[in-house]
Amino acid sequence: MSDSVISHAVCLGCGCACDDIEITVRDGRIAAARNACAVGLAWYGDGAVPGRVMVRGEQATIETATRAIAELLKAGPALIYLAPDITTEAQREAIGLADRCGARLDSVTSDTAATGILVGQRRGRATATLGEIRNRADLLVFWAVDPAARYPRYVSRYAIEPSGTHVPKGAADRRVVSVDVGVATGPRAAHARIKLSAANESAALGVMRATVLGRELPGLSAELQGAANLGREMTRGRYVALIHDSEPEERPADSQRVEGLVGLAQALNGPTRCALSSLRAGGNRSGADAAMVWQTGFPFAVDFSGGAPRYRPEYPASLSLASIGSVLVVGGPHGLPDVVRSALTGRRIAVIGPRATEAPFEVEAAIDTGVAGIHEPGIGYRMDDVPLPLSQILTGPASAAAVLRSVADAVTPGART
Amino acid sequence: MATPERLRIVGGAVHDPANNVDGEVRDVCIEDGRIVANLPSGAPTLDVPGMIVMPGGVDIHAHFASSSCNHARRLLPEEHLADRAPAPTLLDGARAARSGTGGTVPTTFTTGYRYAGLGYTTAFDAAVAPLMARHTHEELDDTPVVDAGCFVLLGNDEYLHRQINAGEIERARHYVAWMLGATGAYAVKIVNPGGIEAWKSGQRNLTDLDQALTGTRVTPRAILETLTNAANRLRLPHPVHIHCNNLGQAGNSATTIATMQALTGRRAHFTHLQFHCYGGETGKGWGSAAKTVIEHVNAHAEHTVDVGQVMFGPATTLTADGPVEYLLYSTSGRKWVNIDVELETGCGIVPYAYKEKAAVATLQWAIGLELFLLARDPWRVVLSTDHPNGGSFLSYPALIRLLMDRSARDDQLKRANLKLLSGSALADGLEREYTLNEIAIVTRAGPARILGLKQKGHLGVGADADLTIYARDADVAQMFSSPRFVLKSGQVVVEEGQLRRAPQGRRLYVRPPFDETVLRDVRRHFDAYGTVAFDNYAVRDVPGSPAALQS
Repeated sequence: MSDSVISHAVCLGCGCACDDIEITVRDGRIAAARNACAVGLAWYGDGAVPGRVMVRGEQATIETATRAIAELLKAGPALIYLAPDITTEAQREAIGLADRCGARLDSVTSDTAATGILVGQRRGRATATLGEIRNRADLLVFWAVDPAARYPRYVSRYAIEPSGTHVPKGAADRRVVSVDVGVATGPRAAHARIKLSAANESAALGVMRATVLGRELPGLSAELQGAANLGREMTRGRYVALIHDSEPEERPADSQRVEGLVGLAQALNGPTRCALSSLRAGGNRSGADAAMVWQTGFPFAVDFSGGAPRYRPEYPASLSLASIGSVLVVGGPHGLPDVVRSALTGRRIAVIGPRATEAPFEVEAAIDTGVAGIHEPGIGYRMDDVPLPLSQILTGPASAAAVLRSVADAVTPGART
Repeated sequence: MATPERLRIVGGAVHDPANNVDGEVRDVCIEDGRIVANLPSGAPTLDVPGMIVMPGGVDIHAHFASSSCNHARRLLPEEHLADRAPAPTLLDGARAARSGTGGTVPTTFTTGYRYAGLGYTTAFDAAVAPLMARHTHEELDDTPVVDAGCFVLLGNDEYLHRQINAGEIERARHYVAWMLGATGAYAVKIVNPGGIEAWKSGQRNLTDLDQALTGTRVTPRAILETLTNAANRLRLPHPVHIHCNNLGQAGNSATTIATMQALTGRRAHFTHLQFHCYGGETGKGWGSAAKTVIEHVNAHAEHTVDVGQVMFGPATTLTADGPVEYLLYSTSGRKWVNIDVELETGCGIVPYAYKEKAAVATLQWAIGLELFLLARDPWRVVLSTDHPNGGSFLSYPALIRLLMDRSARDDQLKRANLKLLSGSALADGLEREYTLNEIAIVTRAGPARILGLKQKGHLGVGADADLTIYARDADVAQMFSSPRFVLKSGQVVVEEGQLRRAPQGRRLYVRPPFDETVLRDVRRHFDAYGTVAFDNYAVRDVPGSPAALQS
């Protein structure tokens, strides 16, 4: 059988959502993924996924499994949990299902990127899509993050390397500063490094913001004076990109760090322009946030039990599970944060998603679906909320969106969302 | 009641100004979702004796389905907590209703339900970044009942600016046509022409029509002329939709009139005019210049406007006009979102409140009313609040009361801060009170005509059977806020003031023809500067079929 090639595939291996991947398909498997980084290659694999349906350890029909999942949800109190690797179309169906069931609704966000979102809800934020950073940023400040490990192509696609409308020579037109906080270091290629102890990070951010606002701060320690100097340098940048990881180590970030970075980026828009670039992991997490916001008003930790959405950010999924009887995971069960996976113990669990039948925890019912962007076409969102079209590369098992509609019908016969 | 395919609406006083019907009691006949001349005897009837029958409302300018709206929603958990919206109980069971939250930027399903509950059956999101159009269509998929579309932001588009700078005006026009089709948009929107690019590039803003972007020949005037001519040459049903430079600045009426003069003789729509009618000088000397501006509009039949009325109460300022929002943030200290959108536009958001004890807010409120009351041709002046910038679309009934009842205006003036109203026509006394037919014009017939929606805004044969039926009430605001019946495509969707059905609305968009050879150059631009591949850019599968272009 001859190879087939799919151009401009979107990789959801991380939040960069690179859309220049060229996939070669041979014998029904992914044989090559040109342009993909190591994270992307691991995400694609050969594209093989199981296509089973299981109920209490036995193979079952999809109808039996959807009924079992509907019964599990009706037994409540239930949580519907959006895991990675499903399309926004499927996420929308899952949100509708939670609404219909009066369930709790949450996603990976509540135990990863929630801190930054909550800060943003208090203060707002000054940011940009990644292309603005590519085209304009002449001063890049990496705050305790080197994208190389978790977001490998950020540097080549968005910043540092690519040329842009206002930086025609690419890297040669940009100055790169790394702020190393404790053991968290920035890119090796930085032109300058500022070292901060973790204990002084918050103070340093305060000093930088004060400097940007034009305050003179006498008597600073050497460490904080370095921060003040960087703040001053940032006011001289034409377009500053301040880059941080909003999901460091898959745990909620330090709120003081995010608060300081948001305030600094906003303040810099007085003397110059600045965008805070918040790195997010893959699997269409940003899409889950977006769909939850437009359907419920809240980006995560939603409670439908009172008949309309209520926001419970103080109870991320890892904590709310204590009061939950049954859980429907929608998405890849291997992408759950460790704290959530631990908290699942003792709950009745069903999974609809890629590799559901291989979940690393005990489940009552599981329906394998395809992976968004490999087997399932639709829409996925980049870390900066840019929506991208997802192609179908391989034929896969059941569509997650279609399965969720069937479960909704089983919960309330004759009705549709 | 179940909705039959045929329905005769009997006994209502019909206000259908497009067909010169002004309160005449007559039947309205519906078959298969359209208005028909007559029905056989024995057709099902809906008796509405003494009630007022109008076409469904048409919102020409609101922000309710976009990436920017979603950033605003995300910013406002406190509003959503205070306005939880349980799922309405529907009748037919064919479609489960959804819960949501409200506030100034409601969630999508709630937006659709609330528009329907208000008697509005068509609405346009007025500002969509091309890159984010796919998001808008996802939101519109989840916004039931209303027929809806969007306007695409092109006034700060990098590729367009390059064509203007190079004098490639024809290529610019083909690019506009391609962009409309690629984004599934209905019209071209210009926001602060050139000013957003200036904000992003460090030039901060453009404040004069002939001020160029640094290092280029691109001026607001050139952008306005290029896009206005393009829209008209492409025979788009709606002309270019313009948010002028210097929004919200004292003294900006001079810019507004200069913009109108630049486009004399060319079809153009000027949006949320209230925000562009301030006298005085930048930063001081606030006053009303509504009379001067609306007299200019009165004298130019080729120009249309919507008002962007400010209503006292909460609002969310939400615009592509980034520098305006930065200014509001830096002067108000409120929370602020800024998002620069690559190669295309920007986005700024600041939650706000218009207080009657605040002099500037009162001036804004008065200017909007002056525009309405001094306009000679209601067909060219549309009711809007620039939702949610001047207030929620739910405040339209209160605005209608202000237009229909001078005493309501006078009562409000007594409670307001009049410091900046000296010389204001409103403070000096404007007797005019809108009639029901004039309300029907500024809320449905006029906007439908301006949008080129031939089957909307009227009840003539062949029109979409979108109707709103009100039970008379001495309290006009109450009457307009709670229609007795609303019909969408012939289906009763609101009954006794309650939402009963929530069908999916139609998508309104255009797909004008263009010279495909220009795409080679566009593709090169994407390859050089974009972060989304050209082949991934266009929105796929926009539902329905494109609207007709002007003949």
